[in-house]
Amino acid sequence: MFTDAMGLILADNKKISLGELSSPRALSAMPFAGRYRIIDFTLSNMVNSGIKNVGILTYNKYKSLMDHLGTGAAWSLDRKNDGLHILPPYVNSEATSISGDEELAGLIDFLRTSRTTYVIVANSNIVFNTKFDELIKSHKQTGADISVMYNKDGLKSGKPFYILDTDKNGFVKDMLFNPEKSSSNKSSLGVICLRRDLLIDSIARQMAHGLTHFGIHSFVKMYDELKVHALEYNGVVLRINNVQSYFYSSMSLIDDAIRNDLFWNGEPVYTKVKDEAPTLYFDNANVGNAIISDGCRIYGNVEESIIFRGVTISKNTTIKNCIIMQDSHISENCQLENVILDKNSFVRPGVRLIGHRDYPVVIGKGAGI
Amino acid sequence: MTKAEVVAMILAGGQGSRLGVLTKKLAKPAVPFGSRYRIIDFTMSNCVNSGIEIVGVLSQYQPLALNTYVGNGHPWDLDRNNAGAYILPPYQRSGKSDWYKGTANAIYQNRDFLDDANPTYIVVLSGDHIYKMNYAEMIRAHIEKGADATLAVIEVPWEEAPRFGILNTKSDDVITEFVEKPANPESNLASMGVYVFTWSVLREALIEDETNPDSSNDFGKNIVPMLLNQGKKLSAYRYAGYWKDVGTIASLWETNMDILDRPEEINLVDRSWRIYSRNPVKPSHFIGPDASVVNSALTDGCRIYGNVVHSVLSNSVVVEKGAYVKDCVLFPGVVVKAGASIERCIVDFGTIIGKDVSAGANVSGESPYINKKLCSGGICVFERGLVIKEGAIIPANSMVDSDLKVAPEKSVIESTFRV
Repeated sequence: MFTDAMGLILADNKKISLGELSSPRALSAMPFAGRYRIIDFTLSNMVNSGIKNVGILTYNKYKSLMDHLGTGAAWSLDRKNDGLHILPPYVNSEATSISGDEELAGLIDFLRTSRTTYVIVANSNIVFNTKFDELIKSHKQTGADISVMYNKDGLKSGKPFYILDTDKNGFVKDMLFNPEKSSSNKSSLGVICLRRDLLIDSIARQMAHGLTHFGIHSFVKMYDELKVHALEYNGVVLRINNVQSYFYSSMSLIDDAIRNDLFWNGEPVYTKVKDEAPTLYFDNANVGNAIISDGCRIYGNVEESIIFRGVTISKNTTIKNCIIMQDSHISENCQLENVILDKNSFVRPGVRLIGHRDYPVVIGKGAGI
Repeated sequence: MTKAEVVAMILAGGQGSRLGVLTKKLAKPAVPFGSRYRIIDFTMSNCVNSGIEIVGVLSQYQPLALNTYVGNGHPWDLDRNNAGAYILPPYQRSGKSDWYKGTANAIYQNRDFLDDANPTYIVVLSGDHIYKMNYAEMIRAHIEKGADATLAVIEVPWEEAPRFGILNTKSDDVITEFVEKPANPESNLASMGVYVFTWSVLREALIEDETNPDSSNDFGKNIVPMLLNQGKKLSAYRYAGYWKDVGTIASLWETNMDILDRPEEINLVDRSWRIYSRNPVKPSHFIGPDASVVNSALTDGCRIYGNVVHSVLSNSVVVEKGAYVKDCVLFPGVVVKAGASIERCIVDFGTIIGKDVSAGANVSGESPYINKKLCSGGICVFERGLVIKEGAIIPANSMVDSDLKVAPEKSVIESTFRV
């Protein structure tokens, strides 16, 4: 299948912070669902749609993202023509600091080297599994200048969010940012499709007007002068806007229907391969309602939790409603409830950590407790 | 290809007929093992971890799955510009063409490949052993001892020695004799099928062996005795770690169980010697609300709602609520339906064990599927891509094979599908 589109993923979002969890990494590099980073979903959606040229726009803390993406081989994007391009802020030799101008100038150069007609631009705080074929098809059929995807999450989307109001033909006539109330429940997914030349022109125009930051909704906002069409998405969408929504979204994966929609009904979700050993469950392991990744050793109790790769849960330890990230070690006789434990943490024997369902305890990367 | 000091050749062409239905569509080295591996992953990973950059994989019997699996060698970091993994099937020549007649003949037929790389040493390996070994250390010993050939050996219990190829040695582990399956062994040093040769010496020996019409062109039977007769120096290299030949149903089952019972011996979590494999691209596994999983190994894509005890599950296995799986080895995509109870079963790719099926070691009775030639210890084996009838009863030591002529009322197979 030939898809006449390239992809552009905005790897970070200045409006979203996950506190201690996002301090060492870009938002899109947040670990998710046991073995993924958030960006894997959007990137896989693009690859599964037949897109072969993807740019990842970053502006800081992109080291862990670069480690993760590598050459793009895991997404079959290690190509001679096109492939994966990480676009860190472009600093020319005279500049001593990075300004937004350079971020955008570098982006225009990248967009100009492509030969496709369309570009799919996506934020990376949304987890869903789809192909963009329908978006491209609808974009062509409606004759829109810009097409934007939404679902009906409405006001429960979690800040920051954009509500779209449309006319009876589905064209956007108003857009509200974090409204307190709204008659429309159409919440943007932060994914748009537009012609590549229009994108280049618009960025150039925005730069001329002194705008230095690239945001998807600055294009949607042009509904007065351009035809902006909204396309509904019906599948499962998990939004990650803050620590709470990260926690809820993660925990919702315990639900069979949500997990099936994300992983089993659609296309595969690719991620960096780690070559861990299989996970071993020992004599007294007692696990229920849990997502467990490779390379773990389970001696204790795990309930309603998400366990990343290479984690050890020792004897007489109970993990309940927790997210335990890669290579963490929980010693014997511990009790953890409503805890998000970042990578490479070590919990000493006998520790008791209890958070609240709505306010999980967050322990930063590499902590010793 | 650039000149390399060492080239490894993996003999992966054998049928593995003692594995019955498991190797009907698949060469033995491509058979799944240990939850997330294929058997050949161990040898491939040993090569890479030993620093060997050119690895030839000699395939012949049912090569499709193996060739696809090895591919360009990417999972083992063997997708190199001027080196890497090379699949070497037998091929047609302007003169005489032939299938690989024996292990030595397979190497003989790939002289051109080896001459291109022009190595000083070659390592000849089997693609069907489970072990971790640093070949670089073995090559170092080969050089230090000034040997023409070095054979890795492992001490086996004396009572088991008659099952192996045994090497008799004198002082300093110099080999004096190779005896295949001796009734009264003089030594308990078994050959592991891991050979280091000085390529120039082996090259001559292979050419000479080809001129002998009575030779079976086999390393153990022909090449090693020939080199000994010629007075070449053959040295034994002692290996003391975990090593298993997975050539039979019983040993395949037992070696899988070792991952659970003796995890520290093969030590799959050792990050300094990782075993690499091709990734199935599946989500992390899920353990449902009423499930129970103990003493087991699981990997990506499994969804467990029933009871799993002391079993090794490959990717994407589904165990439904109320199903009971004990001492089993389940290959990728197997489904065990509600109410089924299986014990000591090896189930091949994708097979669906129907509702309330009862199968395995604890089931007695008569059945046309009983196959005592290949199955022992109560182990049952299921071919790939079968749908097993609801409520079917399959006794110990059965091999469920869709090609077996069975009266319809006695058949346990509802249907078959392509996996």
